[in-house]
Amino acid sequence: MARSWNKAAVVLCMDVGLAMSNSFPGEESPFELAKKVITMFVQRQVFAENKDEVALVLFGTDGTENALAGEDQYQNITVHRHLMRPDFDLLEDIESKIQPGSQQADFLDALIVCMDLIQKETLGKKFEKKHIEVFTDLSSPFSRDQLDIIIHNLKKSGISLQFFLPFPIVKKGGTGDRGDGSLLLDDHGPSFPPKGITEQQKEGIQMVKKVMMSLEGEDGLEEIYSFSESLRQLCVFKKMERHSMPWSCQLTIGSNLSIKIVAYKSITQEKVKKSWTVVDARTLKKEDIQKETVYCLNDDDETEVSKEDTIQGFRYGSDIIPFSKVDEEQMKYRSEGKCFSVLGFCRSSQVHMKYFMGNQVLKVFAAKDDEAAAVALSSLIHALDELDMVAVVRYAYDQRTNPQVGVAFPLIKDTYECLVYIQLPFMEDLRQYMFSSLKNNRKCTPTEAQLSAVDALIDSMSLVQKDEEEGTIEDLFPTSKIPNPQFQRLFQCLLHRALHPQEPLPPIQQHILSMLDPPTEVTAKGQVPVSKIKTLFPLTEVIKKKNQVTGQDLFQDNHQLINHIEQFLDTNETLYFMKSMDCIKAFREEAIQFSEEQRFNNFLKALREKVEIKQLNHFWEIVVHDGVTLITKDEVPGSSVTTEEAKKFLAPKENANTDTAAAFEEGGDVDDLLELI
Amino acid sequence: MRKKNKKRALKVCIRSVYTNKIISSNRDLLAVVFYGTKKDKNSVNFKNIYVLQELDNPGAKRVQELDKFKGQEGKKYFQDQIGHGSDYSLSEVLWVCANLFSDVQFKMSHKRIMLFTNEDDPHGDDSAKASRARTKAGDLRDTGIFLDLMHLKKRGGFDISLFYRDIIVAEDEDVGIHFEESSKLEDLLRKVRAKETRKRVLYRLKLKLNKDVALTVGIYNMVQKAYRPSPVRLYRETNEPVKTKTRTFNVNTGSLLLPSDTKRSQIYGHRQIVLEKEETEELKRFDEPGLILIGFKPLMMLKKHHYLRPSLFVYPEESLINGSSTLFSALLTKCLEKEVLAVCRYTPRQNTPPCFVALVPQEEELDDQKIQLAPPGFQLVFLPYADDKRKVPFTEKVMANPEQVDKMKAIVQKLRFKYRSDSFENPVLQQHFRNMEALALDLMEPEQTVDLTLPKTEVMDKRLGSLVDEFKELVYPPDYNPEGKVTKRKQNDESSGSKRPKVELSEEELKAHVSKGTLGKLTVPALKEACRMYGLKGGLKKQELLDVLTEHFQKA
Repeated sequence: MARSWNKAAVVLCMDVGLAMSNSFPGEESPFELAKKVITMFVQRQVFAENKDEVALVLFGTDGTENALAGEDQYQNITVHRHLMRPDFDLLEDIESKIQPGSQQADFLDALIVCMDLIQKETLGKKFEKKHIEVFTDLSSPFSRDQLDIIIHNLKKSGISLQFFLPFPIVKKGGTGDRGDGSLLLDDHGPSFPPKGITEQQKEGIQMVKKVMMSLEGEDGLEEIYSFSESLRQLCVFKKMERHSMPWSCQLTIGSNLSIKIVAYKSITQEKVKKSWTVVDARTLKKEDIQKETVYCLNDDDETEVSKEDTIQGFRYGSDIIPFSKVDEEQMKYRSEGKCFSVLGFCRSSQVHMKYFMGNQVLKVFAAKDDEAAAVALSSLIHALDELDMVAVVRYAYDQRTNPQVGVAFPLIKDTYECLVYIQLPFMEDLRQYMFSSLKNNRKCTPTEAQLSAVDALIDSMSLVQKDEEEGTIEDLFPTSKIPNPQFQRLFQCLLHRALHPQEPLPPIQQHILSMLDPPTEVTAKGQVPVSKIKTLFPLTEVIKKKNQVTGQDLFQDNHQLINHIEQFLDTNETLYFMKSMDCIKAFREEAIQFSEEQRFNNFLKALREKVEIKQLNHFWEIVVHDGVTLITKDEVPGSSVTTEEAKKFLAPKENANTDTAAAFEEGGDVDDLLELI
Repeated sequence: MRKKNKKRALKVCIRSVYTNKIISSNRDLLAVVFYGTKKDKNSVNFKNIYVLQELDNPGAKRVQELDKFKGQEGKKYFQDQIGHGSDYSLSEVLWVCANLFSDVQFKMSHKRIMLFTNEDDPHGDDSAKASRARTKAGDLRDTGIFLDLMHLKKRGGFDISLFYRDIIVAEDEDVGIHFEESSKLEDLLRKVRAKETRKRVLYRLKLKLNKDVALTVGIYNMVQKAYRPSPVRLYRETNEPVKTKTRTFNVNTGSLLLPSDTKRSQIYGHRQIVLEKEETEELKRFDEPGLILIGFKPLMMLKKHHYLRPSLFVYPEESLINGSSTLFSALLTKCLEKEVLAVCRYTPRQNTPPCFVALVPQEEELDDQKIQLAPPGFQLVFLPYADDKRKVPFTEKVMANPEQVDKMKAIVQKLRFKYRSDSFENPVLQQHFRNMEALALDLMEPEQTVDLTLPKTEVMDKRLGSLVDEFKELVYPPDYNPEGKVTKRKQNDESSGSKRPKVELSEEELKAHVSKGTLGKLTVPALKEACRMYGLKGGLKKQELLDVLTEHFQKA
């Protein structure tokens, strides 16, 4: 749960100087990229409706407007917006009002302006966090005179700092491990000095590193991001992180041993917060619409009864047992209140991941500032870890919630250790489905050649890079660092509609799509093995019967179709004639589509004979009227029928009776219609 | 389904079958036929066969009818009504049963006769009868009626080979594994009430290796939270079910609204943003339904503590692409061999945003009786997005020493047990089903349930003996009370109280706020403090404070 009081003051400090507009042909300029990143940040703030306040300071502007500006000091720095809740106006400004400047300004000066602003405008207000985000290409000269003061002041007022640059920087020595075991990569794998970087920029990079190092040590370097990295991984905005509510309880083992614990949700699926309101299409007001639920008896009149005259019941076999809410409440299972009680311990291999249930992961720590509890819990964590065992516990959040059975297993990191709790299924939740064995099944046993093709595929599409020297494994696709594209997409559409109400929704942004795709080199390496698989494994699409009928299917089902038509015709009723016509027309269309004109033409010829034998002239009139004739050359190139012939086919036959009578005598009936097809 | 011949134990069985079936599969039709009876009642007037209940949905009434045979009185009632006979012909029994099936009008997915008996050689002295029974059983099989033997204990053991082996044939012989009979006697007798579910594929999807190579898979759920069945609304007077209708109408005109007469809206600040309903769906669309292969990772990269949602099961499906099973089987074999998982992007339906999943290979597991414990296929494990992870304020690490850890190890070892996924029943559901049963059958009170989720503290304490005290001595200070409230809390509050920074604003700052109109951003205590500084009386409300201050500085 996010706490509302946990609000942040954020100053976005953006370089709009001359050099920001430079770009390589075909690439977006740093100015445009920075705007995108800022838009995404502000957008999230606006749509999350949190209480954070945001200010926007531009530097490199043609004009000057800031509290510190003097004769020749703090020039070309503009406070575009003071600290306040971000809104659509700010987003609109960013989209259209902010333009590249023709000047340049000292980024350290800009930083001082930001600090000044944040200090003055947060006075007397409660902010959990103060934060400055600097977006610059570092092209402008800067003066280091005030560096010490800056660092001193940032530390003193607890202001944190992040830098966003157009290029990745070399983070030497650092593995980039953020304590999660997976690695954060820059755009192009191993970082090297980016192309076309100037001496001034190199100097700037050194300065940025120096500032960050003196603020946060080695970790500080992790707070320097490239634009494209931030577009891909919005989680870099650490101010957006949400904190969990603590849940205090006692871990009990038997009746006599308890350990004070506190647990937090560490993983739970983040959902879209705001739902859609249904409004009237014309007035756009929700008050104009009302939804009501009525109950009615199952009689002919559907007699309405009021809700008060209904009670609830449950099916018990063929009976429905009335069971009022009050009774249900009274008789239901009563939980004994909050608990985290060990039921027993078992081998960790007995609790398989496939049984994990529920919608959250809890991390369980010892109670705060309680060293005795910490030692006790640590004993348990290490005992379980060393024995490779886990605890099975009963967990109840409070008296109102239903109890769960779950697993608690140890998690030991450099900086902390805890138990991780995840719910396990009850017997009622399990589905014991059986599936046929894939082994020893002749139909699907792969050959050696097929197996080695799959082997090659797995090797080529590996998402990890092993560093033999350091013995580390680098994750090339850390999915847990990718933000859920659903939110970004929703915000994009909302913003677009807010600013351009008449336009259709925009397409998905390219950087969102590419964030979801595998690294290009992995896909590239997989190409050859995949095509090998294509040649070695016979894979043929089965054509869906209902939706997409192909010629073959259609004509397998023909007997049925023709039988139907036969039956319809035998009734000699107009209604059924119309149905038959629909069938025939559908048949004709399909036949054209699948170049099965010969089948249709044969069918139609047979039908005409049939009609004549049975004297169904009335039906044939309909056929003629609707112009359903043989499929011609013009329609399907393979057909041998000309338009002339097709026309003639519908014309009344002169000596029909004699010809067809003969056919009839030869025993022609439904069957010869079928044989033709 | 039905049948029986002996005494009390059998009646208990049948009642149990009924009460379980009513919950587990309430659409099943059940009938009860006794054979070896004195009286007879059946459509073809065979001797010694008594059809107590025809095929129908079981309900409370039928259970109550069976309950009449309970106890001493029940025994007598049975004797009077039906009575025990000595002779019968099993082929006639089967005949009667088959007739019951054919009397039912609608289609049944499967038909089953459960034969409850403790006689392992019913026609030992009459080979003609025995042979007729075998023939009849064969006939039934051909018409899709299966026989289950629910044999009861017999002194000296129940020998299936004497007679019944030829009568009962295992189903699904072609798949090469023995399916566990869901209707085995032990299962029917268990006390647990659980709804049975048919195996059903959730989605049939393409698993795309790249743009033009794909196989098809079926997605199944093997764990799924079971809820109590949803209630039915009844009319209070007659207890008949009522229909529920919802309608949307315009408040002003009273006219009913079609979906096209409405739009969807959200409001942020003062801005209303309006979308068509279709647009709200469309913006969730990224990919066509399917699984898109991203690549492979070593199995050990999968983090247990990154659990997001219950996993699903993936099994090949030939219905869309022929040859899928072979490729699937090759992938499974190789993933197991190389200990890797496949990372995929998963879109189960149209208009559903994608998520990343790990396909974790699972080898088929059989027990000694060749019953499948785990099917072959992939577990589909959901991987969290960055947004799903929360930062947790962790407690400082304080390590236990080896002695303390060892003591805890001893405790852990004492409380070892073997976990099975079906060890625990949901006490909430069990209570609900028993409540229903009690109401339906007019019982005085619901059958007792055992809450297996409660720790067996007595047993645990006994097993642990003095270990707990020894451990506490090692880790807890003498005056420490792990159950008590944290006393330090108070001190913290005090200190944080005293640390609270005095809000003092300089005159310039206040002036700046007044001129910029940002005074309202100050907190009430800060404003009060400012008023106090200038000796202004401003009341308690924020607006009053603001007015006083603004007035003061504008004058000045």
